[in-house]
Amino acid sequence: MRALNKLWNSWRGLFRDPIQPFGIASVLLLVALAIAPAKDHFSEWHYYQHGYLRLIKNRRDAAVLQRHFEPGIHQIWLPDLGVVDRCETCHLGLTETSLGDIKMEPYSRHPVIPHSMQQFGCVMCHRGQGVATTVAGAHESALSSDGPILPAQYSEASCGQCHHAPLEGTPTLNQGRFLLARYGCVRCHTIKLPDGTSMQPADTPPPLSHIADKTTREWIYAWLRDPKSYAATATMPNFLLSDNDARDISGFLIANSVPEPGDTATLKPPKAGGSVDPTAGASLYGESFCASCHAMQNAAGNVVGGDLGPELTAIGTKVKPEWLTAWLRDPRNYDAGTPMPHYRFTDQQLALLTGFLESKTNTDLLANVHLDPATPAQIAHGKKLVEEYGCASCHEIRGVAKPDNYGPELSQIGSKPVAQLVFVKGMPETLPAYLSTKIKHPRIFGPGLHMPQFSFTPEQVDALTTALLSLTDRSVTLPAKLQIPTPQQTDYEPAGKAGQLMADLNCMACHRINGHGGTMAPDLSWEGSSVQKQWLDAFLKNPNTLRPTLIRRMPKFNLTDEERAELTDYIMTAYQNPDIDRDAMPLSGYSPDQVEHGRELFYGKYACQSCHMVDPAKDKGYIGPPLTEVGSRLNAEWIYLWLKNPQKLRPGTIEPNHDMSDDDARALTAFLMAQKGAGSQKTGTRTASVSASGTKGAGE
Amino acid sequence: MQLQKQASRLDKLMASRLWKSIFRSGRGASTLHRSMAIQQNVFLHILPTKVRRRMLNFDATWYLGTLTLGTFLLLVITGILLMFYYHPSVPQAYADMKDLRYVVSSGLFLRNLHRWSAHAMVLLAFAHMFRVFYRGAYRPPREFNWVVGVILLLVTLLLSYTGYLLPWDQLAFWAITVGSNISSAVPVVGHKIHFLLLGGNLVNANALLRFYVLHTVILPLAAVLFIAVHFWRIRKDGGLYVQQSEPARETAEEARADENTQQVVVKQ
Repeated sequence: MRALNKLWNSWRGLFRDPIQPFGIASVLLLVALAIAPAKDHFSEWHYYQHGYLRLIKNRRDAAVLQRHFEPGIHQIWLPDLGVVDRCETCHLGLTETSLGDIKMEPYSRHPVIPHSMQQFGCVMCHRGQGVATTVAGAHESALSSDGPILPAQYSEASCGQCHHAPLEGTPTLNQGRFLLARYGCVRCHTIKLPDGTSMQPADTPPPLSHIADKTTREWIYAWLRDPKSYAATATMPNFLLSDNDARDISGFLIANSVPEPGDTATLKPPKAGGSVDPTAGASLYGESFCASCHAMQNAAGNVVGGDLGPELTAIGTKVKPEWLTAWLRDPRNYDAGTPMPHYRFTDQQLALLTGFLESKTNTDLLANVHLDPATPAQIAHGKKLVEEYGCASCHEIRGVAKPDNYGPELSQIGSKPVAQLVFVKGMPETLPAYLSTKIKHPRIFGPGLHMPQFSFTPEQVDALTTALLSLTDRSVTLPAKLQIPTPQQTDYEPAGKAGQLMADLNCMACHRINGHGGTMAPDLSWEGSSVQKQWLDAFLKNPNTLRPTLIRRMPKFNLTDEERAELTDYIMTAYQNPDIDRDAMPLSGYSPDQVEHGRELFYGKYACQSCHMVDPAKDKGYIGPPLTEVGSRLNAEWIYLWLKNPQKLRPGTIEPNHDMSDDDARALTAFLMAQKGAGSQKTGTRTASVSASGTKGAGE
Repeated sequence: MQLQKQASRLDKLMASRLWKSIFRSGRGASTLHRSMAIQQNVFLHILPTKVRRRMLNFDATWYLGTLTLGTFLLLVITGILLMFYYHPSVPQAYADMKDLRYVVSSGLFLRNLHRWSAHAMVLLAFAHMFRVFYRGAYRPPREFNWVVGVILLLVTLLLSYTGYLLPWDQLAFWAITVGSNISSAVPVVGHKIHFLLLGGNLVNANALLRFYVLHTVILPLAAVLFIAVHFWRIRKDGGLYVQQSEPARETAEEARADENTQQVVVKQ
């Protein structure tokens, strides 16, 4: 109390004379007026500019750097993009090529990129607050609408704002986009692209309306509890269902299933006494190249094979044999939308393959699954759960409508303000951290969430986060001059009888034709200009791999002679490049001199043998396809034009464009056309398969 | 010698016609001359010619009115400087805040000074009002000046409210959205007032422009006008208010000093 009194008295003392407070206020004002410019002078960017001058002072290139340096605030202003960047005020060495040795920030050189900094600025790619001239303001601003700087591992997201087609330099972004489609993310979450289309899923979840034809309730139960327990590569996520929920959903699915005629087939058992090779089933599986699409665990425990279809390691535990036979005979009876081709297996082959696949079992999976018959109440509860979890977003289920926009739309998730996000205690409060955590642990953000648990690797999580971060407001509001047209997906379908056949074989699941179809196998749009008819016919009879190092190969469909002829004729006629006359150059009859000159060019001037081989005994080139039989496979005109400009015929091919003279290209064509191979008459037989594999488009 | 010469030159200047045409009261320390100095000056004549010295002590008024005026002057000066950098347009307004923060010399100081002075002015105006109220200084003949004061308080609050929108950030936008929605609660004409205030149904470019004009032209002019009336009334109502129940003089000396101050003329 006394101290307070004392304070009060001295306060009063201060104001006894009216002139005193006036003096004090004046002094305070003077001090404030002095502090403000002083703060300006000792600002961070001044400090960094002085640091830069010290850094370059004693360098050999000091004179040049000195000349480039201008004191003061630097900015890049891009009114079209709404960008004001002052990053270069402190990052002074970004464009100084001679500063490659400086690793110290903020002075290091920017890595070489395909864009000009003056045209795009910094925040277009790195985000952060471009207008700021302080370190914290520019890099860590969480309050500003621009948000903090984008962590380096997600940088590719920025490329994706404008580039909607895959780029060579953005593997992470490409993978992320692929995963969004492959794992069916876009089935629940709509992702609209700036051109007005939506991202399309690339997975093929099976319909469940006839599931009782295919499998048992016990298997469904085990699968629902944990898909990974059945197949390590299962793409269906884990919905973290309780025992009872899995019991009720499996009960509903079986009760809801109606049998479909043709979904089951029984074959007469093979004739008794007939000697059946026990490995014949496995051989047929291999010969049919099932492994191009389906994976299987080998003895060493590695999962080997493609991931286009489901893993078959324990298929015998899953499907009923009579369903499997019917499926192998004609997959489209059960699932009209399946990418599985319609093989022409004989009854004997069907029996062999069914027997082989049914032997692939995992007895542990269903050992402890004992389900009592489902009660009506359980079935009703199962249906409710199926609706709640949005199962019909992916699967066709009889009596359950496909929900519209089951999950929140993600079209502009990359610009979502931090203020609108919910964070879990302890995690960094940024958008990238939110997205990656949400992908890793979708259910930790609160009760009642339905997003299932995926099991992505850390790299996949980063890739998905990158792809999501690329979906920004800016990608929608880009000025027209910066918009990059996306390659339009056409809806081309081959016509006529051959078209029906190609649909039946599902060629377009792997091959791309006239802008429509898969990307796993070569584009066939100009196949008719490229290959010789005899070769194509032989190839369809018995497809051999053109590239021995690839695992994925074209399957053998057991086509009849008529079917083959129909297909060959159609491809040779319909798939031609209008600018190429395939008969412009002869298939043979080149002079030995010219061939010899071509050989010299091949081994000398152009050193083609570093990637290709013509003589398997001598050449070691494995990067491009072998050319031992290229003269029996490709048309001379195609080879000639290919040599002149490979990228024109197949954009993006890694075959270098040598800018060859006409004479050189002609000589090389002569040399290559002379490579008819040892077994040119036998191209269609298996014995010649590896050595006889010519190229298809000399460098696809 | 030098000093004398200067002094004579100054005398000569003050005797000149030009000087006399500006400072008409003439020189001299007499009471008349000193009262004339106040009365004949347009800026000073609204103030009382005579003030008790005791009334100039801190205890007498706590300087609350003067400090309110001081913050107002500060706001006018910093406000004019800020107007050099600010565009009341939707794409520019927020960017201008950022420029003031990051690139304008002492821009942050300028903006902060404006902002804190504004807070201080509201606070001081309230404090001034409370002090006047508890001292009973609103009683006749000062009841009219009390009303003028209340108007000035409203003008101050409106200045503060309109200035709040100008940074054009989320805080500003929602504060004004909520604030203007309150006006729609007025019976019958509520929605008309709301529309009139915002120049539309939503806080947007029109609202920004309206608030800017209110904040920089209309309301400051109103404030200056009422401040002049306020000060004029102080003079007309008998100067600063002296409490009726004066505490007893503790010593004879103090009492005498007090008497003397009755005659003191303020040199402003």
